Amino acid sequence: MTAVSTAETQHGLGSRLAALAKIVELGQGRLDPALLTEAAQLLLRAGDRLKLSSDHTVVALAGGTGSGKSSLFNAVSGLELSPIGVRRPTTARTHACVWGIDGAGPLLDWLQIQWRHRFARASALDKGESQLHGLILLDLPDHDSIRALTDHEAHRLIQVADLIVWVLDPQKYADASVHRRYVTELTGHDAVTVFVLNQSDRLTPEEQAECVADLEDLLRREGVTHPRVVATSATTGKGVDSLKAVLAESVAARRAAYQRLEADLDRLVLRLVKDVPELLRVEPTVDGARRAGLVDALCDAIGVSALGEALENVYAVRSGDWVGWPYARWAARLRPDPLKSLRLGAVKDDVRGLVASAVTAQPAEVDNAVQALADGLTGGMPEVWRDGVREAARSRADELPEALSEELSEVAPPLDRVPAWWWLLKIWQYLLVVMFVASLAWAGAILAYGVFKAGRPPAEVLGDVAVLPWVGLMMISVLGLGLFSAMASRNFVVLAAGKERDRLEHDMRRRVGVLAQDMVVQPVERELNRYNEFFGAMAAARR
Amino acid sequence: MRSAARNTPDHGTGAGSGDAVTEEPDIGEHPESPGEQTIAFRPIRDDEPPPEPASDPSGSRGRPSAPSDGSVADAAEDAIEDGEQDAEDAADADNAEDLEVSEHREDDSEGAEDAEHAEHAEDDENADEAENVEDAGNAEDADDDGVRSFPMPEPVSAALTEALNQLRTAVKGLHFGLDVPGAEEARKAQAAVLAQLDDYVIPRVHMSTAPALIAVAGSTGAGKSTIVNSLAGGKVSATGVRRPTTATPVIVCHPGDHEWYARGDLLGGLERLEEPRRDAPPGSVVLTSSPSLPRGLALLDTPDIDSVVEEHHEIAHRMLDAADLWVFVTTASRYADAPSWGLLRRAKERGARLVIVLSRVPPKSREVVVKHFGRMLNEYGLGEVERFVINETSVQDGRLPEIEIADLRMWLSALSVDDERREAAVKATLNGVLNSFRTRLPALARHLETQVALRADLRSDVDAAYMGALARIDEATRDGSLLRGEVLARWQDFAGSGDLMRTLQLRRGAKGHQQGPERVRGLKAALRAGLEALVNSAVQQAAEEAVARWRQRAGAGDRLAATPGLGRPSEEIVRRTTRTITAWQDHVTELIRTEGVTKRSVAKLISFDVESLSLIFMIGLLGYGATDAPAGAGAGALPQRLLRGLLGAESLRNISAKARSDLRARVGLLFDEETLRYVDALDSAGIPDEAAATRLYQATYNLEVAR
Repeated sequence: MTAVSTAETQHGLGSRLAALAKIVELGQGRLDPALLTEAAQLLLRAGDRLKLSSDHTVVALAGGTGSGKSSLFNAVSGLELSPIGVRRPTTARTHACVWGIDGAGPLLDWLQIQWRHRFARASALDKGESQLHGLILLDLPDHDSIRALTDHEAHRLIQVADLIVWVLDPQKYADASVHRRYVTELTGHDAVTVFVLNQSDRLTPEEQAECVADLEDLLRREGVTHPRVVATSATTGKGVDSLKAVLAESVAARRAAYQRLEADLDRLVLRLVKDVPELLRVEPTVDGARRAGLVDALCDAIGVSALGEALENVYAVRSGDWVGWPYARWAARLRPDPLKSLRLGAVKDDVRGLVASAVTAQPAEVDNAVQALADGLTGGMPEVWRDGVREAARSRADELPEALSEELSEVAPPLDRVPAWWWLLKIWQYLLVVMFVASLAWAGAILAYGVFKAGRPPAEVLGDVAVLPWVGLMMISVLGLGLFSAMASRNFVVLAAGKERDRLEHDMRRRVGVLAQDMVVQPVERELNRYNEFFGAMAAARR
Repeated sequence: MRSAARNTPDHGTGAGSGDAVTEEPDIGEHPESPGEQTIAFRPIRDDEPPPEPASDPSGSRGRPSAPSDGSVADAAEDAIEDGEQDAEDAADADNAEDLEVSEHREDDSEGAEDAEHAEHAEDDENADEAENVEDAGNAEDADDDGVRSFPMPEPVSAALTEALNQLRTAVKGLHFGLDVPGAEEARKAQAAVLAQLDDYVIPRVHMSTAPALIAVAGSTGAGKSTIVNSLAGGKVSATGVRRPTTATPVIVCHPGDHEWYARGDLLGGLERLEEPRRDAPPGSVVLTSSPSLPRGLALLDTPDIDSVVEEHHEIAHRMLDAADLWVFVTTASRYADAPSWGLLRRAKERGARLVIVLSRVPPKSREVVVKHFGRMLNEYGLGEVERFVINETSVQDGRLPEIEIADLRMWLSALSVDDERREAAVKATLNGVLNSFRTRLPALARHLETQVALRADLRSDVDAAYMGALARIDEATRDGSLLRGEVLARWQDFAGSGDLMRTLQLRRGAKGHQQGPERVRGLKAALRAGLEALVNSAVQQAAEEAVARWRQRAGAGDRLAATPGLGRPSEEIVRRTTRTITAWQDHVTELIRTEGVTKRSVAKLISFDVESLSLIFMIGLLGYGATDAPAGAGAGALPQRLLRGLLGAESLRNISAKARSDLRARVGLLFDEETLRYVDALDSAGIPDEAAATRLYQATYNLEVAR
């Protein structure tokens, strides 16, 4: 175990922890809160542990009451540090023995080991034990007695120690309290877990072999792929040296702390990933087709094309009042009006008022349009994130109809607008009417003065019969001109309305597009980015 | 013990079994058929409790043949029985004659009661011809069933049985489908109660003093099997260093009781095995016998309560629930374990009779450990419980040295001999169990009620969500928000381009409308699209709201809300909406056609196009939504005024009301189909029977009354 590999491990672990931090940040409200809390705790613990002495390895002797943790602790340390006894439970407070006390203080503080339960062994003084330098051996209270129901010290230290030595004994090596609560929960921690079958002096060698084999089987069934089982006897001292050797190896490598954190991280990430079976990256932007689809849908909600049609039709109809042939209009008035007979005279004004009302967007359709966009985008996403995207898409959906209505009212002309050239044409038509009337008067005058000699014509032209055909011609041409210009200008109206419709629709689409971008697409893209970042972090944390 | 005892010195031992209650009838001696005897003796038995030894001294005189035959029978018994009852012999002998007689009576009446005795009777008759010894052997076997199982007095038993059966049905009828917190526990509790009723309570009520079952329970590695083996004097249950050792429970009884256990009143649901097998199916029990055990008692070696094999815990608890006495075994290194104290608490809760064995105690620390354990028990309120201490010694052949278990054996023998004591223990446990029902059953019922209430809540959540959606639609069709967007544009087009006016024609010269119908169609489509969008959006919101509401309900709602697809409207909702709206439009057109009778004054002058008019009507109804506006002239919007002019205010109001309620009904129908999905999801979790809780309360009450 060279310094390089340690640094690499640390580096890899660091980036993975950073990714986990990202997951915790982005996963708020998207992941199981309990899991998030756990992740946050792991981050905190990892941060603390990595800051503290990396020269020390915290080894915890854990196990049920009566398994001989304290005896083993004393046997390993070679001193009677932890009281042993026959009453159960014996140990109530954690004892610690440190090989090489320098720099271990903060670590012990962090572990919350009381001062009076800390013991130091200067490894220099013990010959042959220099390989244990850097070991902090903890003698934990039991985790399975009735006292442990209220005291969680053992549980706490089992969660934070770098290396766990499970002290089991022939009587209770298969207890559910160890296996269900810890061993199964800590699968993947093979590198930082050692199992000790203590009290092996109570068994015959054959029984011991059977027992160890059975224990190994059991552990393998529980997912510990390479169980390290050491048979010891704290009373006879048998096997204690093997245990020491195992500990020395870990201590010398100085990697147990990282391995423990890595194993914890692996496990946590596995659980995180379990909720999200497939890691799918989604396109972080809303593509052109979907955008166009959204704009189309929003335009439908406003009724852009219907508006265009209405514009054409209404202008064409209304232009009749302005640019039409006045005679036809007058003739139409003579026809009986059904509304008159119903005494609903004001209906026309109503229609005019209706036509004058402004453009508005239909809220329900806007809602559906936004919904459709969100649904289309989130095809392969996990449910929570789909909801997230939907929420994002809808984040401003309440304001959207209003905003659309306002924006478009600016461009959409009221249908009762009267362009200036309609006035000109109207004047022109009336001018023609006046001309016709004048010609009629002229013709009448010629008839009266010229033909019937009713008197002296006030002017010569008024009595000149020879002019009469020309006057008649003029009258006809004035009428024809009126008719012709009415037809022509109607065509112009239709043409202009068509143009205006095109312009209007184009303009509206553009404005709808801008609004959609601001109020729908952007929030959605933000959420999609968040999703991608989250899964990027997930992949990074996965290693 | 009896007269026959004097004839053959060993006799007392054989028949003895030491309890005044259980007598050995000597069937072989009766020449008559059992049926006759029953008729003759039954009244006596009914009047006075049979186990009165001194009750009928004259009986023996009524049967002069008894002693001689009896001696043969008893001699045969002796071959089977061992001499463990020696201590009682002297005392028994005093009463022997009296006992003998009452035994006859007892046996006879039993014979009538017990189906077992039918074959036994045949055996009897055969026996007269066959050898006496063999006959006696048969008699012996039959006796063991008959003698030891005293039915309770009829009326009590009948009432109790009735109440218990009722209770059983009630418990069985419970169904906890919703995964609320506590449902799993409730299911387990239900299974436990059912198992206990079947395994223990119902058979026990029938024969309250039948052989007592003593369960040996405790942690893995505590040495339960070793103790059972030692008491049984043979390897009846496997021992070893592997943990957990015992997987299948083992019943060890006296050979005489073997048949009773094999018949399976107690633990009736379990399959009996001859010997332990590795592949023993779950739900089986090994039944073996050992002459070292006293009569009237059986030991039940249970699996552990705390090993990694969790099925063992279930089996162990089931066994304990069926046992009359609990022998709790723990060790010097284990006595502070939490699971052990969990078991002690359970014993306390169930009111079970308990004996504690502290095993594997190192002799040198015996005093300290025993004292400490005693103090812990005292603190826990179990100081009164009888305790035995077994030292840590070498185990030979899976058995402890006899000296270590001498106390325990003494206690067993005493229990076997002392009928009253045993009966008291059995009764105490039975009572304890029945008492525990007082809290366990109402707890089950309460949980069921929670489930029922939760289900109702979940149901009303869905209803509320969809009612909200309906209200939103209602509102949108009243406040004019429908008359926006395309609908408005088309309406403007329709009205502004003069089509509106053209739908009305003067009657003279009317010949269909000339204008292209495309604008009418456009408006109609726009209106339909608008309505559909409104309904779809409301349905979407309702689906989300329903799921959101479910999520807020603890546990169950969450799980159910995760059912795929519930968070959004169903697939075919769009198609259904279209159909609904189209149907409504057609209906409105029909209404206008049939009910929109034009005012006569108007009809003379004007004809109108029904299609267009109904469209105008719909616009007026939904877009302006002012049907309830005052009917004064000039009031109301364009369509209303027009329609009022054409149809008259009265007719218009009628049609409006009809059309609106029709729309609501149709949309409601649509929503009902949507809510069905939620109901299905709810039902898939099972429909809790609301009456089940009441039935359970009633059954619990009835049981109390019957006791």
